[in-house]
Parts: sequence; C-alpha cells; structure tokens
Amino acid sequence: MTRNPVPVFLLVAAAVVVLAAGPLFLPPFYVRVGQLMLYSAGLGLAWAILGGFAGYASFGHAAFIGVGAFTAGLVEARFSTLPTALLLPVGLLAGAASCAILSALIAYPILRLRGTFFAIAMLGVSHVCAEVTNNIDFFQGSMGLNFPPIAPASWDPANFFYEVYLAAALLILLVSWQIRRSRFGAGLLSIREDEDTARMLGVPTERYKRTAFVVSAVLTGIMGVIYAHSLGYITTESVYRDDTNLSLIVYSLLGGMGTLFGPVIGAFLLVFITQVILGRLLDFHLFATGLLLVILVLAAPGGVAGLLKRKRAAT
Amino acid sequence: MNLIAQTLADGLVLGGIYALAAVGFSLIFGVLHVINLSHGILVLMGAYLALIFSEMLHIDPLLCIPPVMAVLFCVGYAYQRFLIQHAVDRASVNSMLLTFGVALMLQNAMIWVFSPDMKSITPTYAFTSLKLGPVNLDAVRLSALAASLVLLSCLAALLRFSPLGRVIRATAQQTMAARLCGVNVRHVYALTFAVSAAFAGAAGIVIGIILPFSPNDEGGWTLNAFVVVVLGGVGSPAGALIGGLLLGLVSTLTAQYIGPAFPNVTMFLLLVLLLLVRPNGLLGNAFAPSR
Repeated sequence: MTRNPVPVFLLVAAAVVVLAAGPLFLPPFYVRVGQLMLYSAGLGLAWAILGGFAGYASFGHAAFIGVGAFTAGLVEARFSTLPTALLLPVGLLAGAASCAILSALIAYPILRLRGTFFAIAMLGVSHVCAEVTNNIDFFQGSMGLNFPPIAPASWDPANFFYEVYLAAALLILLVSWQIRRSRFGAGLLSIREDEDTARMLGVPTERYKRTAFVVSAVLTGIMGVIYAHSLGYITTESVYRDDTNLSLIVYSLLGGMGTLFGPVIGAFLLVFITQVILGRLLDFHLFATGLLLVILVLAAPGGVAGLLKRKRAAT
Repeated sequence: MNLIAQTLADGLVLGGIYALAAVGFSLIFGVLHVINLSHGILVLMGAYLALIFSEMLHIDPLLCIPPVMAVLFCVGYAYQRFLIQHAVDRASVNSMLLTFGVALMLQNAMIWVFSPDMKSITPTYAFTSLKLGPVNLDAVRLSALAASLVLLSCLAALLRFSPLGRVIRATAQQTMAARLCGVNVRHVYALTFAVSAAFAGAAGIVIGIILPFSPNDEGGWTLNAFVVVVLGGVGSPAGALIGGLLLGLVSTLTAQYIGPAFPNVTMFLLLVLLLLVRPNGLLGNAFAPSR
C-alpha cells in the first residue's frame, strides 16, 4: 500500500501557491471566507491528531483556543513596549506554552476516559475554562481584551491575516503528515482500532495518547492566538464557542475521519456551504448544519474520503 | 441556620426535577447505549406542549401530563424506529452526532415556531406558599417535587414489575440472549425510547411550572441529564434520583456560598472527579457496561 508521495506533494505545493496568491485576485468578501476556511482547516487538522488518528473525539477543543488567545492577550499587554513585529511571536509562544501546560496537567486523568465519556469531559473542560475566564477579573473575560494591530502598515490587515492563517495551517498539515507517517502515528492508529490489544502488543498507549493530546492542544492554541489577533478584540463568548466544539468534529466527519486531508476538505466544504451558499439565510444555519450532520451519519459515515475510497474500490 | 435549611430545601426540590429530567436519558443510555443529545429537545417539547394545552383547555398544567406523555411516546417511538435505529449498530460517536444534528434542527424549528423568548407556565396557585418551620416552600415547587417523585416511582415500578419492564431489563443486560429468547429487540429499543421520551416530556411540564424556558435551554438540560446519569449510574430510576438530588444540592449550595456564577464549574469538577474514582457512578452500573 505504499503510494508514490510525489504527485500528492506536487498537488499540495500547487494548491499552496494558488491559495497564497488568493488575496491578489479575490474580492474582500472571499478573502474573509478564505481566512475562515484556513482557520477552520488548521483547527480541524489539529483536532484530528487526537480525534482522527487516536480516535479520542474531543468535544471541547475550544478550551485551547480560548486559553491560547487569553494568555497571549494578557502576556502581550505586559510587553506593550516591544516593536509590533515581535508581538505575534511572543503571543504565540505564550499561548502555546499555556496550552501545553494545561493539556499536560489534565492529560493523565482525562485520557483514562474513553469514547463518549472523554468527549463530554472535554466539553466540561471547555465550559469550566470559559466560566473561570469570565468570572475572575484578572482574565478580563467579560470585559474583553484588546489586541494591538500587528499587520505591517503597507499590508491590508485582512490579506495579512489570510497569509498568516495559511502559514499556520500549512505548519499544522506538515506536523500531522509527519506524525501520520511515523511510528508514533502508527501507534495512534492502533489505539483507535483497539486500544487494549495495542497495549498488549507493546505499544506505549498512555504515552502516545498524552503526547498526541498535548501536540493537538498546542496547535489549537496557536490557531487561537492568530484568531484573537485577527479579531482585534475578544471576550469569553467569542473564543469559547460551543459551535466551534461541534464544527471540529464535523470537519473530520465530513472530510473523512482519520485521514490526513479529511479535515481540510471538510472545513473548506462546510465553510463554503454555511458562508457562501447559506450566507444570506442566517436563521437557517443551525437547521442546515443539523440536517447535514444527520445525512452524513446516515448516508456517508466515511465522509468525502470514504466515498472516494468506495468509488476507487468499485472500479 | 435558616439560610442553610432553606438552601438545602431548594436544592432538594431542584434535585427532584433534575432526576426526572434525566431518567429518560439514563434509560436510553443503559438500554440502547446511545447518548441522546436531543434529550433536552424532548424535555422542551413537553414544556411547550403543556403550555399550548393548558392555555387552550384552561386546565391545570399538571393535568396535561398524561396527554403530553402520550404524544411524546409516539414521537419517541417513531424517532427511534426511523432515524436512530440506523445509527445504533455503528460506533457510539455516530449515534451521538445523529441526535446532535436532530437537536440542532429542532432547536431552530422551535425558534421559528415559538420565538426565542422566555416562556413560562403559570398555574393558578402560583403565588401561595407554605411555611415549614424556618423553611419557605411555594406550592408550585412542592407540587413539582411531588409530581417528580410520583413519576419516578411509576417508572421504577414499570421497569421492575411489568412484562415490558422485564423485557427492557433483559435486553439491557444481554441483547443477544434476549434475542435468542424471542425478544424483538428493535421493538424493545423503540419502546424504551418512547417511554424515555414520554418521561422527558413530563419533566418538561414540571420544569415549565417552576422555571422559565426558551428553545436555547435544550443544551443545558441535555448536559444536566448527562451529569446526573454519570453521578448516579446508568439505567435505573434510583440512580437518577440519587444523581439528581446530588446535583441539585451541589448547584444550590455553590450558588449560595461560592458565587452565583460557579455552579457549572463545581458540577463539572465533581463530574470529572467521579468519573475518575468511580467510572460506573455512585450506585454502580445497573445494566451492561456502557462503554
């Protein structure tokens, strides 16, 4: 089953070039949609390192978006004298570090839970983080945090953040590609298939799960920091969102659970459907997402990638 | 002293209602191994139906319980037979997502039909209250608690003594063996779902009497049900009662003594803690392993 990676690699490189050139010819509305697509794709990929590869579907990854964003904001406020070009790296470091610490702390207890229990416990983590941020004045969750504008003066901020999102999504894609083809990745897949058997055969399941959790959390946090900067002002509600918690699962489900490009395909599709096709029908969003979910589960449990695979097997 | 007695009493009343609202969720989880994320929707359906019935017929909302339960029984049966059954045999995350999708659609539909505003059901005795020593109890809360306890006992009796209850318990314990003994498992699944939906609807009425409700609450009621079930153990009315009372006490005590914003935080900390020490809930697991 070893496929030649060169064509896929070339395809991705071509896609990246086209995407990077996007702001040159796209109208502003589509640049905004593109931002959202890349942001969602990055988050979906980060989620899938744990949820797709290891099969631990988290229902609360918005926790790391929020923790990353708020840490970055609070730290950057202390370093307001730094040149603006350095603010984003400082924020990214701080956000990533806080997510790493939080996830490493909760990894041991929470990864003892499986399946649904893990999913709901993560939802709990996300709600607890949100309430703590909202109710303790130090975090300024209810008042909101301001982020300094960091885009270079000669660059339109929307286009600038588009490129930043693209870079981050690409980084996450690289990381998950490397994980997927490594021994570590194979271990994660074996956990998804049958954790007890994998453990019996000598896969260090506990260590692998914890590592995957921390990596996934850190990458999610990085996306959160960028998101906060592109918004410019965040409150608890704007980063700890339950619809994000849900969407991350839907991306993988739509694209293909456990596949490398599944979350990217899923995120692009879902953002396109909700923002472009249903953009005018705001009242209809929940209904459409729900309907899509029902149809997916009943008709195409393997997502787009599953459909493609089935087609390939049939021919 | 007065304050703590009053807080405990309020907590117990709230807990009884949490228990009733969670018992259907617990039954579905215990028998079908499905996390029904549309449970909150069923609860709200009960509340809205009672609102319509009691305004149309000018009767006491508690008298609406039988017709509402009948309606939701049919809804639950059809819902399980035509939708959920197709996802039951697949991975558990799939049925969870299916019910979540249905919940989103119905929540949106409810917003269209009933508007996103808060509604409440007001019975005629809404403003009378009883004084028991230092503790103040309004008639509404008392009748709500009584209705909850009666309904929970009915369900417990149904499961324990009726032929239907025996078949449900058998299916939960050993699906394969039950099938070999001639139990029509699909039918039992659908009936279990129908009974659960009916009790969710009844809970909705009781909730509607003492608290305002809106379509946006559904997620909250689903989560509460989940927490109650994890605290008490899966599949038994007694477990739901214990879990519900515990949750009610914890949330009123936290709101009173730590801060009104923190019930959810303590609730989830308690939940995670309990999942770690006693993964099967306080009363253990009445039915088959839920993993």
